[in-house]
This record gives sequence, structure tokens and C-alpha cells, in this order.
Amino acid sequence: MIARTLAALVAVLLVVPWALAQPLPGHQLSAGETLGGRFVQVRHVAGLSASLSSEGTFLLAAGKGLVWRTEQPFDTAVVMTPAVIVQLAEGREVQRILVARLPFLARFYTMLSGALAGDWGAMAREFSIDRQGGEGDWTIVLKPLDAGDPAATQLQSITAHGGRFLDSVEIHRANGDWDHIDFSGQAISSAPLTPDTVRLFGLATP
Amino acid sequence: MRTAALLWLVLVLAAAVYLGVRVAEGIQFQTDLTALLPQEERDPAVQQAKDRVTELLGRRIVLLVGHADRAAARDAGAALAEGLRRSGLVASVDYELRGDSLRRMGATFFPYRSGLLSTADRERLQAGRGNEIVARALATVFGPIGVADGRLLQQDPFFLLPNYLAELPRPLPRLTPDDGILSVRDGGKTYVLVTAQLNGAPFALTFQNQFIASFDEIERRVRQQSPGVDILRLGVVFYAQAGSAAATRETSVISTVSLIGTIVLVLVVFRALRPLWMTLLAIGVGVVCAFAAGLWLFGALHVVALLFGTSLVGIALDYCLQYLSARFNPELGTPMGRLRRVLPGISIGIATTLIGYVTLMFAPFPGLHQVAVFSAVGLSASFATVVLWLPRLDGAAPFGHGAKLLAAAAGLWSFWEERRFRRWRAAAAGTILVLALLGASQLVVDDDVRHLQALSGSLRHQEAELRRLAGIAGGTEFLLVHGADEEGALEAEERLLGGLVHAAGDGAIAGFQAIAQYIPSAARQRENRALVQERLTGPFLPAYDQQLGIPDRTPSDEEEPGFLTLAAIDAGSPLSFLRDFDIEQGAGGVMHVVPLTGVAREGEVRRISEEVPGVRLIDPAGDTTRLLRAYRRRAVLLLAVSTVLMLPVVFWRYGLRGGMRVLVPPAVAVLLTPLLLALAGIAFNFFAAMALVLVLSVGFDYAVFCRETDTGHRLVTMLGVWLALVTTILSFGLLAASSVAAVRGFGMTLLVGTLVAFLVSPLAGGSTPNQSRLRRGIGR
Repeated sequence: MIARTLAALVAVLLVVPWALAQPLPGHQLSAGETLGGRFVQVRHVAGLSASLSSEGTFLLAAGKGLVWRTEQPFDTAVVMTPAVIVQLAEGREVQRILVARLPFLARFYTMLSGALAGDWGAMAREFSIDRQGGEGDWTIVLKPLDAGDPAATQLQSITAHGGRFLDSVEIHRANGDWDHIDFSGQAISSAPLTPDTVRLFGLATP
Repeated sequence: MRTAALLWLVLVLAAAVYLGVRVAEGIQFQTDLTALLPQEERDPAVQQAKDRVTELLGRRIVLLVGHADRAAARDAGAALAEGLRRSGLVASVDYELRGDSLRRMGATFFPYRSGLLSTADRERLQAGRGNEIVARALATVFGPIGVADGRLLQQDPFFLLPNYLAELPRPLPRLTPDDGILSVRDGGKTYVLVTAQLNGAPFALTFQNQFIASFDEIERRVRQQSPGVDILRLGVVFYAQAGSAAATRETSVISTVSLIGTIVLVLVVFRALRPLWMTLLAIGVGVVCAFAAGLWLFGALHVVALLFGTSLVGIALDYCLQYLSARFNPELGTPMGRLRRVLPGISIGIATTLIGYVTLMFAPFPGLHQVAVFSAVGLSASFATVVLWLPRLDGAAPFGHGAKLLAAAAGLWSFWEERRFRRWRAAAAGTILVLALLGASQLVVDDDVRHLQALSGSLRHQEAELRRLAGIAGGTEFLLVHGADEEGALEAEERLLGGLVHAAGDGAIAGFQAIAQYIPSAARQRENRALVQERLTGPFLPAYDQQLGIPDRTPSDEEEPGFLTLAAIDAGSPLSFLRDFDIEQGAGGVMHVVPLTGVAREGEVRRISEEVPGVRLIDPAGDTTRLLRAYRRRAVLLLAVSTVLMLPVVFWRYGLRGGMRVLVPPAVAVLLTPLLLALAGIAFNFFAAMALVLVLSVGFDYAVFCRETDTGHRLVTMLGVWLALVTTILSFGLLAASSVAAVRGFGMTLLVGTLVAFLVSPLAGGSTPNQSRLRRGIGR
């Protein structure tokens, strides 16, 4: 379930290069490039009196993984690589999940590298993809195909909006909870990773 | 004599009828190979534990089904699982971790969640670092990975139970759930796990064969359906069946070759059919009586007694052949005359041999008692047949042929007797001495029971591969944990955990499994609850609730739960294997086993076990090895006792000097054989020692025959002894080709021993005053 969401999220982020690939084939995320930006996440959980908001930055590094850094209300980070997911709070590691233990994470990472190479076949295996709109303003709705997998049944649908980049994503869960994430300030860069980012990816080795 | 012969006929017929009745009822042979092993003499509790462990863990089979294509592997696995279920020979099959079984497991643990802490969380709370747990929980709730839902936040706000479950050790570390099926990807292939629990004893021959036949059929169908599939198997039943199949094959081969060889030999030497019939009659009567007596006394016979017992035929023939070859002596015209000539020799021969078998009865192996009785009765029956019946059935005239054979027999005798061979004799003695000394320097004693087993190469390869893929090491050792009750046993295990985890980290052991890793003791659960209350929920929960906007926390209307116990794990749970570790619950207390794998440094493990009362390290393979060592020493003692027991008979008959000469061939054979085998790199062990007891008997037989003969009869005797040697080699000697190391050692010792005894036997023959007169008078 964890991975499913994250998988969907990252895969959706990469819809961008794909979308751009149509008019601009050269803009896929190639080695050494990163896609970064800010996010604002609002989470609605039944039973809580208010929604939970968080904001921060994200960084997707080609061939390495994803760093999701929450700044408000707490300083936490999630580092995701092909082998490991590490959760940090106030700069200190608080949880480590080995992808090998939860192999659907590995499948997600296959999707990721497939997506980077511009191959969307992997996505189509997990979700039904419904694309509407044009290049400048599109909407994609993903629905899980796999009804049997207990992890998949957590997700009901994922709706993504974007133009040049992914602008927002809304994740609805089967139990009624839902998340809305807005993205801003996305940019593709070829600059080398900062030492801190390198350290974070270094933590996420099995 | 006539009455005796008739009486014997009556007895034999009675035996035959009894045997016939038993055969008609259907004879079951004991096939449980573990019944051959001596019971742990000192501690019935330990023996019972070993038996239970063998029974429970021995019934488990593990299969990995691999294919380059993931879907094909999964289909094949499903087909295999289904086939096993349908066979009716398994009590349970585990293939798919269905979603509901995992959920049910979570539900089982849920009421006790307040007492369940992962090791890391427990350490955090003990060290007062509850804030780390809070930080983690917040990160999870706010982070991109949405795990929290309202219900969980109400009931387990800090996600202690998910963390506990996630950190439970996995018995097969490299296998992970992939869409509900434990699998691993390796070398381009996907392997899926199928495990099953048999509902029959793996060492019982009938069940073994039934199961393997069924399994082979299932495998064939799966391969047909998914070509290119790889099926790796691990289980006691596979090894047991391969071993039994090999042993049965060998028994048939050996018996057949033995019988055919004997028939051919008799025909070639005697060139007449009647000696053949008489030989077969002697063998037949011996076998029938042996079977009848064995079944009557023991109720059921063990296949191993059969294997050795039917080989005994070779020794029974010794007496028959002495009588039959007497026909080559032109001086002995009548059957009764021939009998009278050989009777003293064969009587002393059988007396000494029976003494040898009687000493086998002193050996503590139950199987050997059967061998001893079976063999002694068979031997005696053959002897009685030779003495009471053969003369009556014999043709009268001595043989005309055989000059060449006798001349050849003369060769050996003259080598030992004539002056002109003195130098050769000295040279031979010298060479033997040198070889003996060389052998003595190379003599190796190897009691290790693991070296005695002939494990099928293909199965061993599959086992190694399966272990590598699943990430488990092998081993038979375990810790036996005794507690007054379930709680006591768990607490003892918990005290071990620290040491064992350290040992595993250090490489002293590869791994271990303990119930306490999954089910904490009640004391610990109580402790955990207190820790959580004092150091987590007490200080942090109100602020946490506020941050998350959790409204008034409804006080739980759950009743105060008891404690999680092993009883909560049912047969369908993924943790059901834990129930097998709880081997005894009763008035005497509770026993748990903690299996250990890959024990590299036993001393350390022993130290850890000694630190906790009620814990013992059990090493079944090591124990059996130690037992075999003790019994080897005892067997050598039996050898000495045997010799001493045979001496009075021999001294009585031949006087002191004569007796000493008779002693030479068997003594030389017994002493020289292990040394010569050592030169060939064959280690000495218990089975070789037991074989030496038989070599002693055979050696005495040959020596006595040679001693009892006179000049006129000497060559005929030698021929008889040579025939006896060849038939013994054809029966026992063939055991040397067995794939089972224990049997092979036995056979080789007998082969070399009897050969040496034969070569040296003329030394026992000496000139008595009567004989030297005969020699001068009659000549050759």
C-alpha cells in the first residue's frame, strides 16, 4: 500500500517527461539529471478533526532515487532507492524498509527505470491509464488493475493534472481517506547533487 | 542316526509350515532404520526429545519450484501444491499466503498489541528514547506514504504492532512475499516456495515408497505442463527413500550374484548335479529355519538382519563344502566314511563360529541381536542338514576328476611346509611385517556417523542449492529448553536470546529459531505494557493527539486482554511452524526446542546454554558418533572375549602347542586386516570391528579344518577351504561394493580378512606324531 502510493506518485511525476517527450523528445530524464520542486500535501483522514498539511521539497535523481523532504510541520525526510526506503526525522533515521521484504517496491522501481527510458509498458501493467487533454493541460486518471493484491485495493484512484510539469495529484483510498498534493517550482537540472543529497542516498543502501 | 535324521526332518517341516503360515498372513519387515540405532542409554527425556524432533521436523518437506518465467513458476508451484494436497499423503500444504491468512495473523496479535514491542522499540523505551517512536509515527502520518487511517490512530497510535510484525524474523530469509507467494529471484529464474507436512513416518518403508511414487507422478505432470521447470527438494523422506531403494537394490543384486556364483562354482568343481542339489538343500534348510526362528522369536524381522543374514549363507556352506569335497579323496569310499572324516573338523568349526555369533548378542544394537539369532540358527540348521541328511542322499563313489584342482590346492600347502620355500616364506613374512607397520602408521579411526551415510549425490546437490536460495544453513543441533510451564520455558528462551543473537552475529552459528522471538513471555509482555504506559503514551500521547487533531480519545472498551501465548497460533497461521517447537506439555513440565543452524563453534553455544538453567545442547549426530566410538571399543573387547572363549575348545582338542598353531591364522587375519585396509585409506570403525568378529570365526574354521586333516586328506581339505573362501567372498565380499559406507567397511574387512585367513591357514596344520608316520608310510 505504501509502495503503491509512492509508485503511483513517482510514476506520475514522470508523466512529465513523457508528456514532454511528445513535442520535445529530448526532454526525458537522462543520467545525471534531476527533477526538483516543492510540494504542499493535504491529507484527509476519517476520524481526525482536521486535515493534515505538510510542505517541503522533492528531488528525483535519475538512476538513484527520490528524496521527499518535509519542512513543515516537522523536519522529516523519506529517501527511496531501488533497494531501500529510509525515513528520517530531524535528520536521524527512524525507519528503514528493505525493498526485498516488500517486493512490490521492486516492481515499482522497474517501472521507474522503465519510465526513465521512456517505456510506459510497465505502468500499463499496474494501472489502467486514461489520458485526457492536450500537451499544455492534461489530466490522467489511474485505476489499479490488480484487484487481488491486498496492497492495491487500498487505492481507489489517482488523478493527476499537469501542463509542462506535473501540477497536482489527488490520491483516493478505498477507505475514504484522500490526499491532495500540489507541486510548484519544478525544474530539470544537470547540476551535480549536493553533498547532503549524496549523504541521504548513501544512507539508503541496504 | 536314523532317528536323529527323522527328528530333524520333523523339525524342518515344522519350521517350513510355520514360515508358510506367516508368509500367507503377510510378513512385514521392519524398515525403520532408526530402530537399528542404540537408544540413548542415560536420558530417556533427551531420547524422547530427539524422537519428537525427528518426527516433527522430519515430516516437513520444502520445495522450490523455479522457472525463468515468473508466471510459469507460479503455475507450476500451484500445480505441485494441488497435486500434493490431492495425494492424501500430506497433512498440510503451504503455498499461498492468502491475504486473509496474513490479516488473520494480524487480528490474532491485535488484542495483545500493548504488550508486543519490537526489539528496537523496546530498547528505545528502556533507554528513555520514546520521542524517537513519536517522531517516526508523525513522519509516517504526515509523509508521502499514507499508512495511517483513523482506526489505527485510535487503537495503536504509535504503530507499535505494525513495527513488531515487520521485525519478526523470517525463517527463510531470502524468500519474500510476492503477490502472496514466498519467492526469490536468482540467476534469471523465479523460485516459489511450497512446503508440506507429511502424514506418515519418513523412515517407514511403505510410506516412503508410496509418497515418492506419488511425488514422482506429480512432478512428471508438472513438468509436462511447464517444461523447463526446476524442482528442488529438501526433506528427510527423500533421503530415506533413496537410501532404502539403494539398499534394497543391493540386497537383491548381492543375493542373486551370491547364489548364481555359488551354483556355478559347485557345478564347475564337482561336475555333477547332486552336489549342487545338496548344497542348495543345505542353504535352503538353513534359510527356512533362520527365517522361522527369527520371526518366531522377534515377531518381525528387520531388513538389515535380512541383508546380513542371507549373506551368511556363504559361511554355512563351509561345512557343506568340506563334506562334499571329501569325495575327491579316493580312500573314502562311503558317504558315512566321508562324514566321519570331516565331522571333527566341522563340529569344532561350528562350535567356534557359534561362539562368535553369541558375542554379537552382547552388542547393544537391537538389529545385531536379530542378525545373531538369524545367523546362528541358519548355521546350525545347515550343519544339522550336512550331518544328518547329506550322507543319506549322497552318491557313493568318490570323484575321479579333480587332479588339477588338487594339484593347485597343493601349491599353497607346500608353500608353507616345504623347505625349498623357506626363503620365500621369510620374504613373505618380512613383506607382511613391513606392510603391517606401514598400515599401522596410516591407521585412521573414523567414527563420524555422517561419513557412514551414503547420501544421494543428486539430492545433496538439490539441498545445497535450495539452502542457498532460501538463505538457510543446515544442521541437526538444537537446544532443549525445559520449563515448569509454558511461561517458564519462554522466559528461559528469552534469557538465551541475547547470547544467541550475539553468536549469530559473530558467526558461531548461522541462525536459530525460538518461539520467544515471536511470542514474548507473559512477564515480558507485562513489562512492555508498563514501558509503553510510562514512557510513551503517558508523556507523549496528549500532545500527539493534539498535533494530529484526534478528538477525545474514546477509552477503549476492550477488556484488559490476557497475554499472547502459543495457543493463539492455529494450524493455518503462517507461524504454525512454531507449534512444532513445543514438543512436550505435561505434568513434568514443558519442553521447547530451539533449532540451530550452521553451528561452527560448538563450545560457544554450549557456554550460552550452560548459563541458563533448564537448557541443554543436543547434538544428535555428535551423540551417535560418540556412541559408535564407545561401541567400537566394546566391539574390539568382544573380539578379545570371543577369542578367549574359543580357546578352551581348541586347547582341549589339540593340546597347548597345537592350539597355538590353530590360533595363528585367525589371529594374523584379525590383526593384519585393519592395517592392510588402512594402507588403502579405509578407516577403522565400529562396523569393521564387528566384521572382525566374523573374520575370527571364519579364520578358526579354516585353521581347524587344516588341523584336523591328515596327509592323505590334506589336499582335499585345502580344496574345501578354498571353496569356502570363494563362497564367502561371493556373499560377504560383495558387500564391499555397497554404496552404504557402513556396509562397505563391513564387507571389505571380511573380504580381506577371510583371504588372509585362507592364505595362512596351512600353518595351523602341523605334523602330529600320527600324521608324520602316515606321511612316511603313504606319501602323496
